[in-house]
Amino acid sequence: MKLRKLLVVLTALTLVLAACTSDDGDTTTTAAAADAADAGGEEMTSLLDEVIARGELKCGTRDALTGFAVLTEEGDHVGFDSDFCRVIAAAVLGDAEAVDHVDLETADRFTALQSGQVDVLSRNTTWTASRDGSEGATFLTVTYYDGQGMMVTADSGYAGIADMDGVIVCVAKGTTTEGNAAAEADRLGLDWEVRPFDDNDLIQEAFGAGQCDGWSADSSALTGIRADQPDGPDSVVILPDVFSKEPLAPLVLDGDTAWAQAVNWAILATITAEEWGITSANVDTFLDSDDSNIRKFLGASFEDSDGNETTLDAGLGLPTDFAYQVIKQVGNYGEIFDRHLAPLGLERGVNALWTDGGLLYSPPYR
Amino acid sequence: MTTPAPQSRPPFYRDVRILSWAFQLLVFGLIAAVVYWLFGNFQRNTADSGIPTNFDFLANPASFAIPGADFDSNESVRNAYVVGILNTIRVAVVGIILATILGILIGIGRLSKNWVVRKITTVYVEVLRNLPLLVIMTFTFLGVVLQVLPRIENSWVPLGLLVVSNRGIGVPWYQDASGLSLLLVLFVGFLGWWLIARWRHSVSDRTGEASRASLYGGGFFIAVLVIGWLLLGASYTLPVVDGKQIAGGIRIDPSYFAVLIALVIYTASHIAEIVRGSIQAVPLGQGEAATALALSGFQRMWNVVLPQAMRIAIPPLGNQYLNLIKNSSLGAGFAYFELTNVTQVTVGNGSPAVPAFTLALVFYIVLSLIASSFVNLANRRFKLVER
Repeated sequence: MKLRKLLVVLTALTLVLAACTSDDGDTTTTAAAADAADAGGEEMTSLLDEVIARGELKCGTRDALTGFAVLTEEGDHVGFDSDFCRVIAAAVLGDAEAVDHVDLETADRFTALQSGQVDVLSRNTTWTASRDGSEGATFLTVTYYDGQGMMVTADSGYAGIADMDGVIVCVAKGTTTEGNAAAEADRLGLDWEVRPFDDNDLIQEAFGAGQCDGWSADSSALTGIRADQPDGPDSVVILPDVFSKEPLAPLVLDGDTAWAQAVNWAILATITAEEWGITSANVDTFLDSDDSNIRKFLGASFEDSDGNETTLDAGLGLPTDFAYQVIKQVGNYGEIFDRHLAPLGLERGVNALWTDGGLLYSPPYR
Repeated sequence: MTTPAPQSRPPFYRDVRILSWAFQLLVFGLIAAVVYWLFGNFQRNTADSGIPTNFDFLANPASFAIPGADFDSNESVRNAYVVGILNTIRVAVVGIILATILGILIGIGRLSKNWVVRKITTVYVEVLRNLPLLVIMTFTFLGVVLQVLPRIENSWVPLGLLVVSNRGIGVPWYQDASGLSLLLVLFVGFLGWWLIARWRHSVSDRTGEASRASLYGGGFFIAVLVIGWLLLGASYTLPVVDGKQIAGGIRIDPSYFAVLIALVIYTASHIAEIVRGSIQAVPLGQGEAATALALSGFQRMWNVVLPQAMRIAIPPLGNQYLNLIKNSSLGAGFAYFELTNVTQVTVGNGSPAVPAFTLALVFYIVLSLIASSFVNLANRRFKLVER
């Protein structure tokens, strides 16, 4: 009897001691777990093999940004970013529709990528140094060169932001938008009152009621907002000025070079195709092109130096005809742009090919 | 026969003093271990991801401007915090004063003999007390400020004195007067008011003539304001519409207006219930005695019932004041740059989140402690002296 009670007390004391020292124990277990995870990372096979084995691409996207990714009532994802998901699926799996579009909140997107919920993010994400560095992500070829712009009402009479002195500019909170706007006002010597709101619905109300003269956000986002104006898109004007750099690019997890290269060349294929004027409609006519570079690109056979018929395998781990599949099933960059962004009134601008004075430039495929 | 067991201490595992100590040690040890573990996790994770945990960011340029304040984007984050705290105090102090006045009026109205007044105040209390404050604030911003107030182009200019628009309300103001001199004038005025009121009360106590403290004191206060205005140069500016802005006078920020109105009408509904309960807690005999002395209804309420009711009401009123201070953080969603909004915006512009919010947390605690010490002071001053 006595002994049992002694045991109870001893157990309680042990618990106290254990609680007091448990932190050290935790440190070691956590460190060990981290080591194990690191070791696992090195042995891990590339996502490329995983995606091929799975037969489906998990692509992180969103559900309601007009022009970039919209979930329709039929359950399809339509938009510029969604089409780049299809481009990757067409290149890797040969089927543009083998995509699982995963809708992500802005705040969750990097976590989803880090935890492996998605294979790739194609979700109008600005490439910045700190995201590249501290989110564990690798940014690939920029699909859209964006910048912060300004929207005003059509009857305001402003032709550019330099005309806007002594005005109120409304922005969304939680991004660098208000900092960019304040810096631009300082640079131009203008007196702006920048009012940050929690979300776009509140800004829409304030803008509609005339509390704000200007609405500043990424130009592409403004274009979508303009299309949704209650008084129609012509009631507002997006000024030509752009005052920040917002390169939007797809991204994959750090440390998986094979997968990053595969995704990157899938995107580059859309640019290369536009350079050559290859579209989804005429791609078949290029299969027997006289230009052997085009035949190499499309995975068609060509004559090598020994006179043998062969196809080029660049060693990217992609099928030799990946570019053909991308263009046939989805289209080249210009087609994707014209399908989703041109109807909103967006010009090609800096997103034109380098041959047209834009920034799009693909390394040669050979 | 056996001899009774000798009186001795029980074994330690049955000694209630040792056991209770052991148990408290156990609880303390568990809590300390959990806190230590969480803090260790926090330090390790922030170190892993290279997130700073010190307060060096306070010296960085803020890189955002604050509307309605003399603050540009090159000033430091520290100064932005100062502006944020002052804005929180501004909305809290004015809100507490207005909510108290409105709350007392409605609380009295709840007990009115007038059927219409009683029903209207009851509906007011029951509606506002049962709505979330965020909903009320969204309504005062979207519904009242944005939709009821006119656009700047069509602003109302009653008598040429005010400019009312959804970009703010311009009111006439001293010109060129520094805030300090204004505060000095106000201080002299209130001090004089208080001294005169004391003097009149003592006269009243000695001679029995009516004290009329508010009349004399208030008159002195207004006289001081007028003389102060003349001394400060007798200058004033009227607000005018200048393009898209209100120039001259002083501008009440539209977000401040919306946040203030929401805080006042919401808190007043709670204060009204406290006042009603406190009035009902005053013994009926007090009011009946006042009536027997032929005091008017106002005199009965103002001189007999309310002073005793407010004594009961002070501690719960203090809770409402603390709630109002903390609820002012909801203004962050409506472009009002109080403490929470400054913290959120500075985090969005590159300040580390954990230290930034820790700072906000500390400021709120300090503000609340200051407010509750004022309430305790008032409570000590007014409570019944028990002998």
